[in-house]
Amino acid sequence: MNKVKQISEAIVQLKWDEIAALTNEALEAEVPALEILNQGLVPGMSVVGTKFRNGEIFLPEVLLSARTMKTALEILTPILSQQDTPSMGRVAIGTVKGDIHDIGKNIVVSMLEGNGFEVMDLGIDVDTERFVEVVRDNNLQILGLSALLTSTMPMIEETIKALEKAGLGQKVQVIVGGAPVTQAYADQIGADGYGADAVAAVEKARDLIAT
Amino acid sequence: MPILHNVPLTLSIEQLPRRQGVGELLNLRPEMITLLHELLNSVDELHLLEPVIAYELHSITEMQHDRLCLKDGTAFHGQLLPSFLKTARELAIVVCTIGPRLEEKVTDYFKRDEPLQGLLLDGIGSTAVDSLVQEVCQLIRHEASSRGYEASNSLSPGMPGLPLSEQWQLFQLVPAEQIGVHLTSSGMMSPRKSASMIIGIGPDMPTWTEAQACDRCSLKETCHYRVYTHPEATT
Ligand code: B12
Repeated sequence: MNKVKQISEAIVQLKWDEIAALTNEALEAEVPALEILNQGLVPGMSVVGTKFRNGEIFLPEVLLSARTMKTALEILTPILSQQDTPSMGRVAIGTVKGDIHDIGKNIVVSMLEGNGFEVMDLGIDVDTERFVEVVRDNNLQILGLSALLTSTMPMIEETIKALEKAGLGQKVQVIVGGAPVTQAYADQIGADGYGADAVAAVEKARDLIAT
Repeated sequence: MPILHNVPLTLSIEQLPRRQGVGELLNLRPEMITLLHELLNSVDELHLLEPVIAYELHSITEMQHDRLCLKDGTAFHGQLLPSFLKTARELAIVVCTIGPRLEEKVTDYFKRDEPLQGLLLDGIGSTAVDSLVQEVCQLIRHEASSRGYEASNSLSPGMPGLPLSEQWQLFQLVPAEQIGVHLTSSGMMSPRKSASMIIGIGPDMPTWTEAQACDRCSLKETCHYRVYTHPEATT
């Protein structure tokens, strides 16, 4: 099996303890860093996503594969940045005002980081004004908003309205998620994207940045 | 206003898969199961659980199809309570929590960049809340039988037919602050690993299985955490 294929397999098989050695071996064999990323890591994560969707593997395992990918990225990023390869994108994410549930948001953060995004984690119970300020002061492509309950969900809409009011509606694409959030709700409040789970969150962020 | 501290909870590894969203333990890789064992042990060693229950019994004075009124003049809205608790004479209003320690440890894992431990421990915390809810049901069954009545299973604000906004009403009726639970500006309970519920007390109270409760939920098609009825149980 060639080195890049081995790296892809390591992601799928969750070989987090072997990935660093495999990545270094590939670099020593002069496989370009970008090829390791695009033909090894990214296709590996995509297989993981499909397996999750088909119910063959579960969220803790997906998280472990993201961790495996992150280890490889930590080795590749310094090389890629020398070559002026842009990061996957910059994302800020937080749980809305009055909502203190953080596990879902944290998993999304870990998955985005594992997939090469730069992530600003704004935490829980985040004021609408804080979201506005962060979007205004940073060069972000994506803002993620999370809520666990239907009682806290209206703050997602409030935040989107506040961004529009501040004239920042076009500056960033907003993706939303959390247990009670649906695609229909996302459409209704004018969000740019919805992710049912952390795998979908990464795919959505990637699609929105690509378009 | 009865308050019970240090409610004994015993958690076993077999109880954990549901709240990890994995169905059965067998579905997990061996290294994950080892990690779950380690985390479960740490729950005891680090005293991460401080289970407490606060409850209050209230007499029912009137029931309409979408409203249930209590003796003190307050009312719960929505069709869930009247439709399930037709013959109830009293309601037990309950708030319980496993306290903040476990979730602080979860946050700590994420800060230390150990998200997998964080996710698994969070699931263990939810399993602990499930066990605590079972203890609550047991307790209220005793209360009911001492009055010659039965107790229903628990119903919670946020279930279809009992709006989450009823949390504010519920918190008026039970001294939740005495066990350290409060509502945030949007009506979420802090600590997170808390549950609020209403249990009917009276003759012929209905009970149901977890699988039946999952069947009634609006997320049943997609939920990773649902419980299924085993085919043999329906025959
Ligand atoms: C475990 C659980 C609990 C546990 C733990 C809660 C906690 N905060 O830690 C316990 C038992 C304590 C509990 C209590 C309650 N719960 Co509860 N709970 C759940 C359950 C089963 C799973 C939630 C969870 O932890 N998931 C694990 C994480 C990893 O997933 P997640 O948060 O959903 O995040 C994922 C996605 O949503 C997505 N995502 C999340 N954020 C974002 C953001 C972006 C930008 C994107 C793209 C994606 C994304 O990606 C994440 C990773 O895959 C859900 C049902 C469900 N299927 O989701 C009900 C659920 C959320 N609970 C519900 C209710 C009603 C309650 C209570 C109000 C009941 C009560 N009266 O006591 C309380 C409230 C607790 C509180 N603190 O106020 C309802 C909410 C319904 C509603 N009307 O809003 C649900 C939907 C169940 C149901 N259908 O009835 N709950």
